[in-house]
This record gives sequence, C-alpha cells and structure tokens, in this order.
Amino acid sequence: MNSTLIIQSLMAGLTNSFVYALIGIGIAVIYRGTRIINAMQGDFAVIGGMLTVFGLVSAGLPYVWACALGIAAGAASGLLIDVVCVRPMIRRQADDEAFLLLTIGLAFTISAAVLYIGGREAHLLPGIGGNGTVEIAGAFMSVHAIFLIAISLLVVCGLWLFYRKTIAGLSMIAASVDPDGATSIGINVARMRGYTFVLGGAIGALAGILVTPLISVSYQMGLGLTLKGFAAAILGGLTNPLGAVLGGLVIGLSESLAVVGLSSGYKDVVALTIMLLMMVLMPNGLLGKAGRRGG
Amino acid sequence: MTKTVLNGRLAFAAVMLVGLILPAVFERHMVDLLVYAGLYTIAGLGVGLLLGQCGIVNLAQALFYGIGAYASAYSTVTLGWSPWSGILLGIAISVAVALVIGFPLLRLHGFFLALATLAAGTIGTIFFFEWDWLTGGTLGIGGLPPLSVLGFEFNSPARFYYLVWAVVIILLVLSSNLVSGRPGLAMRALRDSAPAAEVMAVNIHAIRTKIFALSAGLGALAGSLFAHYSTYVSVESFTVQRSIVFLLIPVIAGARSIWGTVAGALFVTFVPELLSGFGDAHQMLFGIMLVLVVTLMPDGLAGIPARVARRFAR
Amino acid sequence: MNTVMTHAPVKSQPLMALRGVAHQFGGLVVLRDVSFTVSRGRIAGLIGPNGSGKTTLFNIASGFLRPANGQIFIDGRDITAASVQERSRQGLIRTFQTPKVFQHMSVRENIEMGLYATTGAGFLASMLATPGARGERARIRRDAQEVGERFGLGSHLNTRAGDLPAGQQRIVELARAYMTKPRVLLLDEPSSGLSSDEVELLRNWVRTLSNEGITVLLVSHDMGLMSVCDTVHALYFGKIIASGSMAAIQADPMVREAYLGG
Repeated sequence: MNSTLIIQSLMAGLTNSFVYALIGIGIAVIYRGTRIINAMQGDFAVIGGMLTVFGLVSAGLPYVWACALGIAAGAASGLLIDVVCVRPMIRRQADDEAFLLLTIGLAFTISAAVLYIGGREAHLLPGIGGNGTVEIAGAFMSVHAIFLIAISLLVVCGLWLFYRKTIAGLSMIAASVDPDGATSIGINVARMRGYTFVLGGAIGALAGILVTPLISVSYQMGLGLTLKGFAAAILGGLTNPLGAVLGGLVIGLSESLAVVGLSSGYKDVVALTIMLLMMVLMPNGLLGKAGRRGG
Repeated sequence: MTKTVLNGRLAFAAVMLVGLILPAVFERHMVDLLVYAGLYTIAGLGVGLLLGQCGIVNLAQALFYGIGAYASAYSTVTLGWSPWSGILLGIAISVAVALVIGFPLLRLHGFFLALATLAAGTIGTIFFFEWDWLTGGTLGIGGLPPLSVLGFEFNSPARFYYLVWAVVIILLVLSSNLVSGRPGLAMRALRDSAPAAEVMAVNIHAIRTKIFALSAGLGALAGSLFAHYSTYVSVESFTVQRSIVFLLIPVIAGARSIWGTVAGALFVTFVPELLSGFGDAHQMLFGIMLVLVVTLMPDGLAGIPARVARRFAR
Repeated sequence: MNTVMTHAPVKSQPLMALRGVAHQFGGLVVLRDVSFTVSRGRIAGLIGPNGSGKTTLFNIASGFLRPANGQIFIDGRDITAASVQERSRQGLIRTFQTPKVFQHMSVRENIEMGLYATTGAGFLASMLATPGARGERARIRRDAQEVGERFGLGSHLNTRAGDLPAGQQRIVELARAYMTKPRVLLLDEPSSGLSSDEVELLRNWVRTLSNEGITVLLVSHDMGLMSVCDTVHALYFGKIIASGSMAAIQADPMVREAYLGG
C-alpha cells in the first residue's frame, strides 16, 4: 500500500464528506425549524437527482435549467409534505414517533414511486465543469468534486447569514423555539414551517444533483444517504450547519481510511459505528452545545 | 359486562373455528400467505411491544429475524443439530446481542433512538452480507430440514400453518398477560411520563432493556420458523426494508393493541398481494396507504371501532 | 409497605433534614447554605418570590437535581446521592407543578402504580399469569379501588386519566402518591389551576395526610393553602430569610420587604 493510494482514497473521502454534510445540513435545517428528524432527507436527493436527469436527458433542457428543475422539485416536495401530512398531524398534536413513522413511510413511498416511474436503472449526470480531473499531490480529483466542495461551502455560508441576518431566517428559528411567543409577535408559525420544509427539500435536492455525477442516482439510495447525513448532523450537534460539515468530514474521511485499511464492504460499518458511539458518548456533538436529549 | 365477555368469547371461538378450517378451503398460495402473516405477527409483536407500550421505534428487527434464521440454518445444515436446538440458539444469540447494543443505546430517546436502531440494523445487514462463511452471503443457505414433533413433519404450508398460528396464539396470550400485569403498567407509565414513573420507583432503563431483549427474542423465533418453513435463507430477507415492514405491522394495527398485531400482519401480507394487480405501482400504492394511515389514523386499524362509535354517538 | 418496615417515630430526630444545601447554574448562585428540618408528621412550607430558588431546592430534595454542596437526610440516612427511584423506595414521593398523571392509563391504573415499588411480579411471572402474580394483581386492584374511593374518584376509576379536568388530575396524582404509603410527601405548587373550593379540599387532604403521620413539604404561592403548614421557610435569593408560622412570616419585616420590593 503506497501513499498515493491513501491520498487518492482520502480525496474521494473528502468529496463524500461534503455530500454527507449537505444531507446533514438539510436534516439540521428541518430539525431546527420543526423539531422533526426527517428520515426522508436522502429521498429529497433522489428526487433532485432524478428530475435533473429527466430535465437534461428527456426534456432536453440546458444543464442549468435542468438543475433548477431538480431543486424546484425538491422544494415543492418539501412544501407538499408539510401541507398534506405534517400540518394535519401538528393539528392533532401527534407525538414524536408519529412524525418519524411519517417520514419513514414517505421514504418508502418515494423510493417505490421512483422505481415505478423511473425504473431500476441508475442514472448519471455530467459533472459541473465537465468530466476533467486535476492532479493534487500525485492523486487525481475530478473538477466536479471541487465544484461540489465549493458549492457546499457556499450553502453553509449562505445559511449562516440567512439564520443570523435575515428576518425570514430569524422568524423561522423563533417559530420552532417558541411557537406561542412567535405567534404573539406576529410570526405565522405554520408558514415558517412550510418555508423550512421548502428550504430542506431544496438543499436535499441540491445534494442529489451534486452526487449524481459521482455515484449516479437510483431509487433505493435514499435511506443510506439519510443515515450518513444523519451521522454527519449528529456529530455536528444537529442544529449547526458548520458542525454538519465537520461531522461529514469525520464520517467521510474515516470511511475512506476504512476502505484502505479494512475492506470496502465495511466502510458503512465504520461510519455508522462512529455515529452510534458519538450518540452515546458525546450526545451534544463534537462542538458540544445545543440540547439534543430534550423531548 | 358478562354479556360483552360472553360475546367476546363467542367471537373468539368463531374466529378460531374459521382459522381451523381455512387451510382446507383455501388454495395453497393463500395458505402460504397466511403462514407468512403468522411469522410476521410474531416479529411484529416484538416491535409492537416496544412501540405501543414503551414508545420506542425499533428499526432493527430484521437483524434479530436474520440472527434467528441464520442460527437455525447454520446449526442444522452445517453442524447437523436438531432444529429445536437451532431455534433456541438463535433466540439466545439475539437476546445477547439485544442486551449488548440495547444497554448503551436505550439511554437515547425518540428520534435518536430510532435512528440508532436503524444504524444497528444496517450494520447487521452488512455483516450478514460480508460473513459469507457463516451466512452464505447472497447465495444463502438451502436445504434446511422441516420442523417435526414426535415424527410428525411440518413440511407443507397447511401443516406449518397450524404450527405457526398455535405459536402466535400462545405468544399473544403471554403478551396480553404481560401488558395487563405489573410490568405492563410500568411500561405504559414510563411512556406517558418518565419522571412520574421514576417517582413510582420504576427503573426505566432496566424495563426498556428487558423489553428490547424480549422483542429481539420474538424476532429470532420468527426468523427461525421462517428458515425452516422456506428451507432456504439469504441476505435479501433481512434488509432494512424488512425492518420497516415489521415496524409498520403495529403502526397499522394501532400500536397499543396486542391482538391487533394479527390485523397488521395480515395487512402487510395481503394488501401488497391485492395491489399486485396494479403491476409495478403496487409498492407505491402500499406506501401511500401507509402514509395515509400514519397521517389520518393515529390509532391504526384498532382505532376504527372507536371512531365509528364516536360518529354514531354524535 | 408492610407494618414491619414502618419506623417508630424517634422524638428527637427529624424525619427530613437539609444541611447546608447550595447550588449554582453556571456562575449564577441559586441556593446558598440552606438548612432546615421537618419532624415526622409535620407540614413544612417553602415560600419565596419567583427566582428565589424554591424550584431548585425542591428538585434537589426530590432527587431530580444533585446539589453542588450540602446533604439531605431521611430518617438520619444520607440520601444526597440517591436516585429518584431509591428515594421512592425510601418513602420520599413528589408531585409535579403541572400534574403528571399517566394520561393513557385509567385512573385506577394510575393509582395502582403507587404499589409498584412494594410489589414484585416480574416479566416471566406476569406473562405466565402465575397464581402469585394474579393474586398480587387482584390485591393491587382492590387497594387502588379503596384509595380511589377514599379520594372521591370512585366514579372515575375507569376514565382515562388524561381526559379528566386539571383539578381532578391533581387529586389522581395525590391519590397515587398516597398509595405508595410515603413517609415524606413533596408537593410542588399543588394548588395552581385549582378553584377555591378545590384548594379548600386540597388543604383538608394535606391536613389529613399529616394526621396519618406523613411528613409534608409544600411549595406554593397560595397563602391560603400555606396556612396549613406548621412551619414556613421564606426563601429570598437562595437563602432562608425567615422561618416560623405563616402568620409570623407574613408579619416579618424582611419578608414583607422581599415581597413588596423594598
């Protein structure tokens, strides 16, 4: 085993890290805005990836418009889920388990729907910036991967500004932290929850579009992505987008080392074991704040 | 009071009688589905005890189902043991695994515990796949002997039907006893208010761990019976999707209802079968039905009588 | 709890004692050197304005919070490190500011839970419904029925506790606590949300329980209810500033200043 192999593997891990981080950020956004853990975040990615493929290949749209279609589809699914399912459940004050069962049921349904409509095949997209590669320290990294990392960082910064500087972002947090107080100062709590799902759906779809050129998109990949994203989000303390990046890096890089050191079959075991250990031993995440145990 | 008890007993006797003659009147395929409904009742009962009594969402039941099946397959085919000792081995390993992973994980709650069990179940699937010296990997293990009692072999769907449903009824009775007994009170109490249950001296972590182990044991038993019924096991039967189906059994049934588990298991075996007329759309339609149940029917099928009663009372 | 376990009252020794209890959250000191004792069968009260540390002290006494400093004794035994369950087995039972009944369980089952600590049927015995387990269950039901009727809940025994109005839920919580045959009962704002008639009923209950030998620690804003106490301790910024009868406390110049904002 030589050092180039390890570097190559780490580069792949780095790219994966940001995919997990993006899924984790989506989970964190929805948790922050609704106190719901969304077990179908990975399926937003499937929707986004699939519709972009559809737009580009079947509808013949330009790349950018196809991506816009994918993101819009993710956002629209988020809104639909909030209006059709979450709203009536909030009205009858359903408990935590019910929301989890809902998102699991939705994950099952979306996966089956994609199978029905799109078939079993996996679909690829061309990379952003073409399919070229660049050489870094003797190892190769695709141009797309660099775009993926840059876009992910942009999303993180954008969210940071959004939640800190904009009225909409602040209102969305207020609506989940203290719904009654938020209502009393004129915030429409139900609408904020809708926005949260739109945002979560859009970020999920973006993750799907970015991952499709790397590993392709297929109907059954949602749940696996959700778990990795959740692992990233948990490591980051769950409400913090920057923490999700850190968590994604831990998961992605340790996976890539597991591939080098063990066998590729065990990489998910390593990632998920880290997640379980973190949940038990460091329940507040690597950055150690924000109550996760409550409720 | 006595009249309702009498009516209940009569209804129970009628259901039993219908159950007894079903294999005689149904075609083989239907009997086969009924056997699976029985197996799923056993596995779903475990998940249902956790969900309905303790409020724990368990997405790892396929792991224990798999442990039971592989323990039976390996010990009978490779080691040449008797089927019954294989079943016991499966239960023992499952309970041990449940205690080892449950002890730390059951300190988590709600969403976090659910996703932790999902992770545990996923890890289990990977091991089933990777440890092909034990599980046969994707090829699986075939040629399991049928179960037999005193020389009577349960080697046809009809024969196995009676075996599995006898086991189901015994387990349902035992579970009802448990739930209406002192431990059941404590479980429901800690679900409603953990702090108040602690004040009543309930050791929350101990009870949750015990129920998790019990649920795992039921999963293993179902898995072993499945292995001896189908005589062939492979990784495909023990995926996370299977765990989700097991979880849906109590959800559809109305998680608090023990006997309702049967309805949930019948639902998840027969409804996809009925929907298969719609071709490839059937899985999606099944999914939509599930989402509708979760969204609109918080008490599942078991909640329907109460709803109807409320409507008429108005 | 059977009669063998009931301790004979020792005149000189208080049943419950807090010694030098102090606590802080982050840098904020909420309790400093709080000490008092309650004799067996007596009713002690804690009053104080919001933020005076009442709730913290109450949570420390009931085991939901570990104090940074100080000790808590029940009958001479140090229980500072004991968990909520261990305290419960020692006979220390609390109620909650917002009543925590087991909502999905019937009133009868709620009261039955009071006997959980002193009964024994485990998983296996209950599953097999052994004669022992069935006998025990029947006895629990009978006792719960009796206690329920005594607390005026006879007609609600089969009602889901969560369906009762708030005032009734408090009575259920009290009946459940009584069912455990507690030695010390900690009541956290038991009168909030009750009508004046209900408060009067509650007042009589507290008096009755203390006459039966149960030691009561009461936290409340309700001065009408607090007049049932033998001794009242006034907390102000984490310190006891006055102790005595309710009338004496109300006349105390320091307490008046604390409340009226001098």
